[in-house]
Parts: sequence; structure tokens; C-alpha cells
Amino acid sequence: MTNTAANSDNSKNFINTDRPWKEMLSGSVASITLTFVIVIALGLILVGPRFLSFSNVSIMGNYLIIPLVVGAFAGFALLSGVVDLSIGSMVGFSTALMALLLNQDWGIMSAGLVTLVFCMFFGGINAICIVGFGAGPIPTTLGMLTALRGITWLICGPSYSITAFNLKLFTIVNHRFLGIPSFFLVGLLLTLIITLIVSKSRVGRHIKAVGGDEQAAERAGISVKGVRVLALILSALGAGIGGIIMVAQITSATRMAGFGLEFEVYAALMIGGYSILRGGVGNPLGGALGILVVGALGNVIDLTASSSYYTNIIVGILLLSAVYLDRLRGGDSYD
Amino acid sequence: MRLEHAIKPESSMSTLLWLRFRAFSAPIFLLTVWLLLIIATAIYRPDFISYQTLLAVVFTMSIVGVLAIGQALVTISGGFLDLSQPSCLIFASFVSVKLSEAGMPFIIVILGAIITGVIVGAINALIIVLARLNPIIVTLATNFIGLAVLFLLFRAAEVPIGSEIHTFGRAYFLGLPATWWPMLILIFIVGLLIHQTRYGRQTIAVGGNLYAAQTRGISLKKTRFLIFSIAGGFVGFAAILFCSASGPFNSASANILQLNVIAAVILAGISLEGGRGHLWMLFLSVGLLSTVPTSLVFFGLSSDAQAIFQGLILVLAVTFDGYRSRKITL
Repeated sequence: MTNTAANSDNSKNFINTDRPWKEMLSGSVASITLTFVIVIALGLILVGPRFLSFSNVSIMGNYLIIPLVVGAFAGFALLSGVVDLSIGSMVGFSTALMALLLNQDWGIMSAGLVTLVFCMFFGGINAICIVGFGAGPIPTTLGMLTALRGITWLICGPSYSITAFNLKLFTIVNHRFLGIPSFFLVGLLLTLIITLIVSKSRVGRHIKAVGGDEQAAERAGISVKGVRVLALILSALGAGIGGIIMVAQITSATRMAGFGLEFEVYAALMIGGYSILRGGVGNPLGGALGILVVGALGNVIDLTASSSYYTNIIVGILLLSAVYLDRLRGGDSYD
Repeated sequence: MRLEHAIKPESSMSTLLWLRFRAFSAPIFLLTVWLLLIIATAIYRPDFISYQTLLAVVFTMSIVGVLAIGQALVTISGGFLDLSQPSCLIFASFVSVKLSEAGMPFIIVILGAIITGVIVGAINALIIVLARLNPIIVTLATNFIGLAVLFLLFRAAEVPIGSEIHTFGRAYFLGLPATWWPMLILIFIVGLLIHQTRYGRQTIAVGGNLYAAQTRGISLKKTRFLIFSIAGGFVGFAAILFCSASGPFNSASANILQLNVIAAVILAGISLEGGRGHLWMLFLSVGLLSTVPTSLVFFGLSSDAQAIFQGLILVLAVTFDGYRSRKITL
């Protein structure tokens, strides 16, 4: 479905995304920055000053750690032109395995490492099917989403949950810096680092090049397959880390851990300027802002005591408008 | 360059034989896998071959089959996937429950569900055609919105016991559930219409080669609008089969069906690239996929393992589809 208009826009995007800070004011990140400011203003009007109080920001922060980390890594796959829908169940699988290992008196390091290796293994299966055999990323990872959910259920067993309280892990994740969860700050720092990697480093440019124009990247001597395999494994790794953080936060694993997270994260990333069907567009800064917007919206709706399902309706409408705006800028046209 | 690839120097006889074989290889392959699954389960547990098993399989087939017709129409016309089927199905079920609670005759209830489906499909189609956005993202978003609206609308609903729709869900015809026959007839008729009529072939042409179809004067917008609305109508009809036979349902009850439907379409050889595949194959793929859960139960595996198998089947089917076309499509 790529036409010449989309291609010319891609080349324009390459130039722009090399300066993420400047793009905050002019390019695709501008609209999400504006949306973010509007949502904060809305929060202050509807909820009052306590919306930005330390306690409320730390509640939001605690909740947003996992989407931020998962979204930052999933962004790699989107940029390289493949989408990994399996991240929701991957988070669930990671919590279940981590909790199981901790329950059997494994150390934090060894349990975490084994969990992450298993996650990357499943990410590798995604990569073999998609990159090796040319399967469509959406149905493949949708299948993996269901399969991993089944594995999570098997691990959780008949009691439907595994309790795994590890004081050391609990203290690390719940550490606060100036009243705000340190891990939330780490998540934001991670976003900045990944933004720099994507915009300034050679690897980042290769990833964007592969997503933007596969053939051009191939001719420029970039290994398209290698980059996509790496991106899919990184996306699984991010979900694995998200799962470990979840075990630390809620000290247990449940059957439904991470359920529906993939839609939440990808809706937020698309609102933030990524595209799940077209690689090479978007930037991690915009994606993180998208996640913050959705998180803040949910928080406003929770505090004004309406049903949290209103959040989904607003997020869905935001998603459609974001994609439409992207199309008007010359993106993804379906005709 | 392209031309050299297209015309391979092969002897016409062997090409012809190969084409003949390819045309029949997919149904034979599906049928073989289906039979192997049945034979393997029957050897492990001879009591698998029973009327009860047949009923269980046939029962699952009917809802997935009708949904798969809608999905296949969207896919074959180049619309990739309709991810809004779960919310559409529940919405139409809710409407038919309300209609039958109001004491409407069965035919009105059926029409109400179908019209609801058509309206939901038309809303999707309007957004897709007017905003020129990709159907996957549009239907993802409308499903998200739809499920939330449905949750706010009701918590649980059930067709009134003793109503005509309730009786229909438990009726039998020629020894098989009455809900199964409409599925069989619809797959046959829609397959006949789409492959044998001019409009049907135009739809396939839009999915296969957009620009060629356009130069022949086929209106893309009209075709797409019609296809998404018709596909919605099939979801609406599936809702009748769904709510008549299932007990109480809530807004999330149909989410598990989505994966089976997509897997059935891809297994049937209806490529996600559009323009390729045959609708009659749906009967085999839906049959195979509906046998899997029952046979897993006979192998003594829990419902947790069923999710793993369903996921793996989809992954394998897509991988096979990708291997045949060797191209990243979505």
C-alpha cells in the first residue's frame, strides 16, 4: 500500500527525527506534547491542585513504570517495521516464571536472568516465523499472545496465582526519590537514553532505515533481517523486564497479569506518533508522552469517580484522531 | 527483470500438472490433518468416536464458521482483518436479547441482529473509506471503544428462557444442532456467489490487484463499503447463533472467538495479502479448529493447554502462509 507520497514523507521524517528536541516543537511530537499539556490542564481544572501533588504523581508513576519500560522496547520493533502484539502475555509469562523461581528460593539475579532468557527465546520464535519465513507480524504475534497466556496459566497452576514476596526486590522497586518512585524516574531516563540511541547512534539509524524503506536499507548494506530479529528480541526483553517489575510491585503472579496491556501500550504509542503498520516513523520521546497522556487521562477519570471504561472510549477516539492526523501529514494512506 | 521471473521456461505439461496439484493440495492437506487428528484421538481414547463428540464439534463450528465468512470476505477483498468482530457480535446479541424480551417474533429478532451488524460494519467502513485509514487500526480502535460502551450498557444478558430464539438454540435437525445448518448453507452460497458472479469476482479483484481493478472502472470506495457492511451482517447473524445457544454472556464473552476465526481464515488459504483463496475451504479449516479443543480434552489436557495449542496453530498457519508467499505483508 505504499505510494510515492508516503515514501517522500519517510525521507522527510528521517531528517526530522535526527533532532528529537526540535521535533517536540514542530513535527509529529508537537501534537502529542500539546495533547499532554491539555490533559495536564484538564486534570488541574477537573481535579484541582491535588492532581499534581506528590502523592498523586507517585501513584501515577507507580502505575506507569511498566507501560513506559515495555513501550520503550516495543518501539524498537515498530521502528523496524514489525509489530509485536505478544507483549501483554509476555509480561504475564515473565511474572509467572519469575514468581515461580523466587518461590523456589532462587536468587533475584539468577531468577531474573533465566526469566529474561526465556522471554528472549519466545521473542526469537516470533522472529524466526516473521523474519525467517515471512509470516505476517500481526497474526503471528497474536498467536504467540494466546500461546503465552496458556503457558502463564499452566505455570500459575490450579491455585490461579503464585505468591512470591522477596523483601530485597520489593525494597528496590519501591524505593522513592523526593517522594516519586525511583523506578519511574529510571523509566523516564531509559526513554531519554533510547531516544538518543534511536536518533544519534548508528544502530538507531539502521533500525529506522530498515523500517522506512526496506529495499533502500538492503542496498545500503544494512542487514534487514538482522535488525528485525534484534528488534523483536528487544521487544520481548522489554516485556520480560516489565514482568519482573510487576512481581516486585505486587509480590505475586496472577493468571491475568498483563492482560490487555498490548492494546494499552500500542494505542498510547500510536497516539504518540508511532505506526504499527509502517516502520521508521515515531520517536521514543513521543511514545513515552503518549503513555503519559493515557496514564494521566485514566487518572483524571478515576479521580472524578467515573467508570474507568470511559478511559477506553476516550483512548479509542484519541487513537483514531492521532492516526488520522498522521495520515494528513502524509502517513499511511489506505486506498 | 520482473518478466524473466514471471515466465519460467518450463514444459507446459508439467506446469499444468503442478497447477492441478496445487489447486487440490490445500484441501487434501487440511482434510488429511483433520482425519489424522481424529484417528490419533480415537486410537488413544476409542470413546472419542461418539455422537456426543460430534455434537460438541458441530456446535463450536457454527458460530466460528459464520464469523469466519465475514472475516474471509474482508480479507479476500484486501481489507486485511476486521478486529471489531467481538464487540459487534456482543452488540448484536444484546439487541436480539432485548428484542426477544420485548416478545418480538423470531424473524424480527434475526433481522434486528443482522441490521445491527450491518450498521456497525457500515460505521467501520465509513471511517475506513472517508478517512482513508487502514482497517486494522480502525477496527482495533472501534473494538476498543465498542467493548467499553457495551460494558457501560450492560453487565450480563441472556435470551429469555422459552422464547423462540432459546428453543432454536436447543433444537435439532437431522440429528445435528439446528444452529449448524445455516453455517453450512451460508459457506456454500457465499462461496458460490463470490467466485461465480461478476460482483464477487470484482471484490476479489480489488483485493488482488488494486490498480488493475481501478483501471477497469471498479469503484474501490463502493466495494469496500459494501464488503465491510456485508461482513458486519454475517457477524450479526452469528450473534443469533451465539446468544441462542450460550447461557448468560457479558461484554468480554466473544474475545476468545477472534483468534479461532482469524486462524480459520488463514488456514483456509485465504491470504492476508488479499485476492487469494477459496471460501469453501472454510468448512475444512473451521472443522479442524473446532475438533482440536474436544480432542485435547480426550487427551486429558486442561483448558490452559488449549490456549497454547490454539496460539501455536495460528503461528504455524501464518508461517506456512508466509512461506508460500515469501513476503512481509502487514
